[in-house]
Amino acid sequence: MDDLSKSDMKFFSDQQHCFADILLPHEVQARIQVVVLNFLKILSSPDPAISDLPLINRKSSNSRVSEGILTDVSWIFLSHSFCSRSLMKANATKAFIRVWKVMEMCFEILIQDKRVTQRELFYKLLCDSPHYFSSQLQVNRTIQDVVALLRCSRYSLGIMASRKGLVAGRILLQEPNQEAVDCSACGSSGYAISGDLNLLESLSTKTDARYIVVVEKHAIFQRLAEDNVFNQIPSILLTAKGYPDIATRFLLHRMSRAFPDLPILALVDWNPARLAILSTYKFGSIGMGLEAYRYACNVKWLGLRGDDLQLIPQQSLAPLKPRDLQIARSLISSTILRDNYRQELAVMMQSGQGAEIEALYFNGYDYLVKYLAKKIVQANYI
Amino acid sequence: MDHEMLILKIPSVAAELVIERGDASGLRCENVFLPNESSPLNFSSSNVERLKSGLEEYVLKHRNSLNNKCDSCFCSREKLKISSGVASSMESHRSPGLIVEAVIAISELSESLCFRSSGNKTEVLHFKDFSPSSVSIASLNALTSIDWRSYGLTLVSAVDQVDHALIEWESLPPYLHIDMVIHCYHKQYPGKYKYQPDRHLIKKGVKLALDDLKEKHTGLLLSAHAVKICSYAPDLASSIAGIILSSNDLKFRSKCSTLLELSQSQAIGKQTVEDRIKEKIISVIETNDRKPEKIKEAAPFLFEDDRPQDLDPADLYLEEHAGGDNVFSFPD
Repeated sequence: MDDLSKSDMKFFSDQQHCFADILLPHEVQARIQVVVLNFLKILSSPDPAISDLPLINRKSSNSRVSEGILTDVSWIFLSHSFCSRSLMKANATKAFIRVWKVMEMCFEILIQDKRVTQRELFYKLLCDSPHYFSSQLQVNRTIQDVVALLRCSRYSLGIMASRKGLVAGRILLQEPNQEAVDCSACGSSGYAISGDLNLLESLSTKTDARYIVVVEKHAIFQRLAEDNVFNQIPSILLTAKGYPDIATRFLLHRMSRAFPDLPILALVDWNPARLAILSTYKFGSIGMGLEAYRYACNVKWLGLRGDDLQLIPQQSLAPLKPRDLQIARSLISSTILRDNYRQELAVMMQSGQGAEIEALYFNGYDYLVKYLAKKIVQANYI
Repeated sequence: MDHEMLILKIPSVAAELVIERGDASGLRCENVFLPNESSPLNFSSSNVERLKSGLEEYVLKHRNSLNNKCDSCFCSREKLKISSGVASSMESHRSPGLIVEAVIAISELSESLCFRSSGNKTEVLHFKDFSPSSVSIASLNALTSIDWRSYGLTLVSAVDQVDHALIEWESLPPYLHIDMVIHCYHKQYPGKYKYQPDRHLIKKGVKLALDDLKEKHTGLLLSAHAVKICSYAPDLASSIAGIILSSNDLKFRSKCSTLLELSQSQAIGKQTVEDRIKEKIISVIETNDRKPEKIKEAAPFLFEDDRPQDLDPADLYLEEHAGGDNVFSFPD
């Protein structure tokens, strides 16, 4: 009975849900071949035309929220609204051709059974087609266009995620046929998270930690790792050094499935932009909305929060930038945030000020660990 | 003026002249309109057909400075492309019964000894009521108000040079020359009827002639937009050809060859596939360019299932209330 009602509740949202499949190389090649065949069929038909490329819209207007029914996890997903890339629209012609160029290159990569990073792809495209590609950002966006066209994950295209994230603490990670790595012995630099999602999937994990702490800033991660905080508070530390990339999110999600009893706690600056980072771990993103929903985790906000401000000196508060306020306005209007988060945001906006975690050092360099320990013991996280 | 009169090819006038000069010497008669074997006209030919034929001869004979067509410049029919447009005012119009005929000739001449290119200029000859006329303000306004860019042309200026309007173009290809003639008259002619030249009618007539040219000759008078899009065709063709030729799937490659009407029998090189795809793309662009804006259809969908769903009212609300930057849309 339980199962029925679960599937019933999800039924309608599934209809709206648009997602990218995780496919094997030959399956992606098949999809690209279908694109080419359809294009040629229309080009050679009795009433020939040049088809547009229909892409799932990656805009907030096409995003939906899936409320966790029996779990605490909500996520953002994309629905079936399309935009299209067209050869015939002046100023949009190059964007159209860029999609084909990336598709061609991914096709070749897959045929050769290779994997490349986004950076490597950028350099290849820059050499091959300098008139069309001038920046990494453009390449990344075009890759997302191909994901939105073929509805397969970026990794399925042969493109590895960036190698940004780090893990430290009480976890053993073992690649198949390799020695296990003890992440508590990796020093302050931690264990680098691979961009190869297949590899991450194949890792075996073991832990005796009681908490997972997601740290937004690299410097704070290093400080905590150096101080071996995970030996004082049995924990795993994780950072993406800023905005979370797919590989870090993937690993965090794996850990949350492997160790469902471990609360995941986030340590971010008191700032709307940092709260947005937390939200990305928590709910996913629109930019990669076709796949990011898979890696949404129940991340709780440990700090810095409103009531922590009393712990830091007044002079460490700094005015929020216009961009921060813009993000705050956008976040607060998003339906996915719970009231308690909204209240914190409202305080941020009212005061017009933000604070960095480093401000806690005012109380001594070891204060951060004490702060963490106290908050964890008091279960002071939302 | 005499040379220009010949453009009209008015049979009745020629007949009168012949009768009048019945006793004149052969020499004088030679300057009169004579039936031309290369462009057979008979009494039932319409006025505009005659005008077209007349302009054609005018151009072929280098503005009637020669007695016969210049064979060295116009060695093939393809060198001269000619079309016409006729606009007439409706009964409900403030001046009903007006007719404007426009004929445009485009010559593609390589460097020739006998024809000195007049560069980027076109003399627009004007006729009114079957006689050469001066250029009206209405005509000048009509010429300057046409959207020449949709025909791949840029007008620099149009000035009244008394017996013709002189149009200057920006950067015509050096071998291309344009001739034009506009004839306004009342359908009751030779009955006396006073009227003012109509700018809209003249514009319509010229546009009909331009559209007629585009319709009949692929790739001619391509709009600036179409020329620009065509320049991307090789890159697009190269990408698609690249995918086809990288594939190990023989069935797929065979299907593509069939669609592209390429031989299945032997190994086909990338260049051949690329060229064929490019040809087809350019052909579609050129065909689309000929269609008037209002009947251009939306491009077909690449996947049948992808037709956009009807928006839920809730979706419409979201769309209307979508803020500017959304925090969830940072690039990864």
